[in-house]
Amino acid sequence: MDQLIQTLIIGLANGLIFALVALGYTLVYGIIELINFAHGDVFMIGSVISYGLIAPKSSGGLGIFEITSGTPAPLMVIQILAVLVITVGLTALLNVAIERVAYRPLRNAPKLAPLISAIGMSFVLQNIGLIFAGPNQRTIDNIFPTTNLLSYFGINSVQLTVSQVFVGVVTVPLLFALTWFVAKTRQGRAMRATAQDPATAGLMGVDVNRTIAITFLIGGALAGAAGVVQILYNNVTVWNLGFRFGLNSFTAAVLGGIGNLKGAVLGALILGQVNALSDRYLQANWTNALVFAVLIAILVFRPTGLLGQQLADRA
Amino acid sequence: MTASTIGTGPGAWFRHIGSTVAGLGQAYRAGLRDRPKRTVALSVLVAVLLLYPYVAHTWLAAFSRNVFPLPLPDDTVETFMTIFAIMAIGLNIVAGFAGLLDLGYVAFYAIGAYVAAFLASPHWATLGLNFIFLGNVDQGTPGVHLPFWIVVPVAVIVVATFGALLGAPTLRLRGDYLAIVTLGFGEIVPLVFKNLSQVTLSVVLGPLKISMDRVDLTGGVQGINPIDSPFLPFLNIKFDARAGFLPVYLGIFLLLIAVLVARNLEHSRIGRAWMAIREDETAAEMMGVNTVRTKLLAFALGASFAGIAGAYQASYLGATTSDFFDFSTSILVLIMIILGGIGNIWGVIMGAITLVFVNSTLLPYIGQQVQNYAPSLPNPAQYNFLILGVTLLLMMRFRPQGFLPSRQREAELTAHGLAHVEAEMGVPLDMDNTSVAPPGQSETGMDARAPETPDEARDL
Amino acid sequence: MTAQGNSAASAGQAVLPENLLTRSVDDAALLVKARGVTKAFGGLTAVNNVDFDIPRGSIVSLIGPNGAGKTTFFNMITGYYVATAGEITFDGQAIVTRKGNKIRSLKPHEVTALGIGRTFQNIRLFGTMSALDNVRVGLNVHLKSRWWDSVLRTPSMLREEQATIAESLALLELVDLKDRADTWARNLPYGDQRRLEIARALATRPKLLLLDEPTAGMNNSETREMTDFIRKLRSEIGLTVLLIEHDMRVVMGISDRVTVLDHGEVIAEGRPAEVRANPRVIEAYLGRGAAEAQAQG
Repeated sequence: MDQLIQTLIIGLANGLIFALVALGYTLVYGIIELINFAHGDVFMIGSVISYGLIAPKSSGGLGIFEITSGTPAPLMVIQILAVLVITVGLTALLNVAIERVAYRPLRNAPKLAPLISAIGMSFVLQNIGLIFAGPNQRTIDNIFPTTNLLSYFGINSVQLTVSQVFVGVVTVPLLFALTWFVAKTRQGRAMRATAQDPATAGLMGVDVNRTIAITFLIGGALAGAAGVVQILYNNVTVWNLGFRFGLNSFTAAVLGGIGNLKGAVLGALILGQVNALSDRYLQANWTNALVFAVLIAILVFRPTGLLGQQLADRA
Repeated sequence: MTASTIGTGPGAWFRHIGSTVAGLGQAYRAGLRDRPKRTVALSVLVAVLLLYPYVAHTWLAAFSRNVFPLPLPDDTVETFMTIFAIMAIGLNIVAGFAGLLDLGYVAFYAIGAYVAAFLASPHWATLGLNFIFLGNVDQGTPGVHLPFWIVVPVAVIVVATFGALLGAPTLRLRGDYLAIVTLGFGEIVPLVFKNLSQVTLSVVLGPLKISMDRVDLTGGVQGINPIDSPFLPFLNIKFDARAGFLPVYLGIFLLLIAVLVARNLEHSRIGRAWMAIREDETAAEMMGVNTVRTKLLAFALGASFAGIAGAYQASYLGATTSDFFDFSTSILVLIMIILGGIGNIWGVIMGAITLVFVNSTLLPYIGQQVQNYAPSLPNPAQYNFLILGVTLLLMMRFRPQGFLPSRQREAELTAHGLAHVEAEMGVPLDMDNTSVAPPGQSETGMDARAPETPDEARDL
Repeated sequence: MTAQGNSAASAGQAVLPENLLTRSVDDAALLVKARGVTKAFGGLTAVNNVDFDIPRGSIVSLIGPNGAGKTTFFNMITGYYVATAGEITFDGQAIVTRKGNKIRSLKPHEVTALGIGRTFQNIRLFGTMSALDNVRVGLNVHLKSRWWDSVLRTPSMLREEQATIAESLALLELVDLKDRADTWARNLPYGDQRRLEIARALATRPKLLLLDEPTAGMNNSETREMTDFIRKLRSEIGLTVLLIEHDMRVVMGISDRVTVLDHGEVIAEGRPAEVRANPRVIEAYLGRGAAEAQAQG
């Protein structure tokens, strides 16, 4: 039982990181019906950037915000915030640039063209990651205290670490902020309108190009945040991290019903658990096969996902 | 030729083949007369391509080694050119003719390779399974050993079956949903080969009892080796890595079969049905095309080419591991057909040859020269993916139809003795330059599924 | 070609009964018999309990305002939609039938094989295939050769291909497109595309031809040519035609019988002149439609 709860906690942390990336897929699919293959790699670039900012020069980083487990807590919070802001800013701009270069010129092209363009962009980003981070895995030391927070409540059989809490503290507010943004703001309304019908939205005075750019901006920002969280939580990054992670997140988005924000989060949480449970109770080397099997089963039997579609009605 | 000249029975078939071959000479003379430049250029190209493996191996390689380094593909690279060209032709059937985007084509390549490994290696000896039939091994060699010439047809049948099996669940899906599901299959299949190295299970099905205890089915991470090389009896030729340029010609032979089969399929009822589905699946169905059957045939027949390629690759290298078969290989083959001109058999072959050349010869060559003469510059081989990626981006932006796009099918008409159609036409034959979209992609794009509400189906 | 009027009884064509109303023609003389056909999409009932007969050799029109359910009805005959309730038989064979509590429908390609060809409201040709190959696709349903015949180029397959080309060229000639046989369908002018669609539908060797707004977007003379052509199809090939059309002059000039749908229900049926005079029809449709036709003309 304790083991199961422990696994669920790990799965929850995984799922929250997936959720940030899955939202990027779902937003973009909802608005331009493109599976943005490069999105996982934007996440990878985010984690490489934050690696560079955090890791000391001795291990190949830039050492700008060299955070170690010895850093005093207030300074650490400020440094993490700084890393977040810089990484998120860079990946957001990167994603907008990707849209501008690789997708916007193909807005009226046959649908296969942007998909292949996205695959090409994914290759480009992976190679950029390879150039900056090298062919091998890059690791940083865990910066968080390893004490079990639950031991303060007298529970020792299940572990809840600071790094897991950190994942929640960063991701959950972002998820709520995004939901609020899309549901309540003027720009969010423009996004929903464009997702419904770009032509009509354009006639109604929505600047479609700008709305799509903002969608990519948000998606990139979330992917960057996920990159920071993942390097601080898993302490590892590598140039091809984006492919598998991206597929997991995309699966999550499809599971929830692509185009649907809440669905993406729900799907991500489920997928986080699938990963954790499979790692723990099945065998880690079957996990990827299981994830794909889930993806195929959903697409074949319930292509609209668990929550159907809300952001877009078209897919 | 009129309908009455075609008789029935095998005799008529041989006569037809004979007259077709005889007609080739005639057609060639006609080509020489009507479009001399093109015909001569093509003849020279074909001759160079056919002679190159021999010439390169015998003279050019030594020249490049001793006198002046040139970016020359070696025997192995040339063999892989033929292997990838065969795969490109197969993927072109699925993605080019039928318009079904398959991002997991590597799965079939892997299955083909493992079929060869299962049927011609000592692998099963550990299970006490020893069987030799016409294999090029000494009697008493452990394991199963069938000759390559049996392995290939078996691989084709097995892979085609898997093609249909994996295709079946995707029949309702369109566009990028289909792409993702096939991608999933492409990831699962190599994982299965990688992971089934310690299978423990016990199943009782009525009288049939299966029980295994940590049985190595697939060789796991190490894969399976050694695999028997293709062997030509009488001439006593073993087509392995030490056989110089000979494996290239075996590859070319297999490639020619692939071209013939693909062309015959393209110019037939099934080829037209595939293209109709690609252009407008609903309309095709309304015109009497059995879309389920036709799509399954595309998956099965398209996959079978990867079966040939995989079986040959494994037999030629004498080994197979699941690492050969990852997503980037699927994408590589896809890039080959997009680069060459999706839908056009000759285009996709050129795409395959070009890409293997760039990947395996040109980039390493440039890297070597940079190392030699300007070691401070970065090695371009590191930018392999970058170059591929940028190529894709530029292609999609500026020439989405590829370098040799699918042409008007003029030859077919003349081949069937209907030259008068051509003669009566008031318009030139190559109309395809006016089109912006590559074939296979309607301008409106593809929707994910058949419309289900009256709203979506309004315009039907 | 001269218009011969509705009573054209040329060679091979049976004389139509006087009264063509649904439920008043013998089953033997019916090509299509639909009873209680209903189609609901979620809460919306697009077609509600429609009875509809098509007598052999007739030209029957289905009219009604936008969203009246005409195309939905078309799509149920062709097997594209499975009806929610009801039965449809074609030439004595069931297309839509009830098995226990379940409604069964033939698949579109099976319906095509039975002998129903159709065109589309928005032209749906195979754009990057030649005109000839578009027509040849229509013939596919009657071909016997299998894929291995294609691979091996067996004599039977080659003979079949030659026959296919000959038949397709004949059809292209019929629609005056023989000289464009090698042109990609999408490079043809609009009027040619409409005729090519009909040739493709004829290639399925239909007994019944369903035409969905065949004169949409055509000018007066093109429209006249098209109506003459439809009459010719009936008189020379003996086709039965079901027409969806917005242009009232076409409908009134060509139809043996007109059925009016509104909100998924039949509100009137009869000879063109009777329907034109029906107050319900005028209210639901004709008043506005006629006005529009006037304005366009």
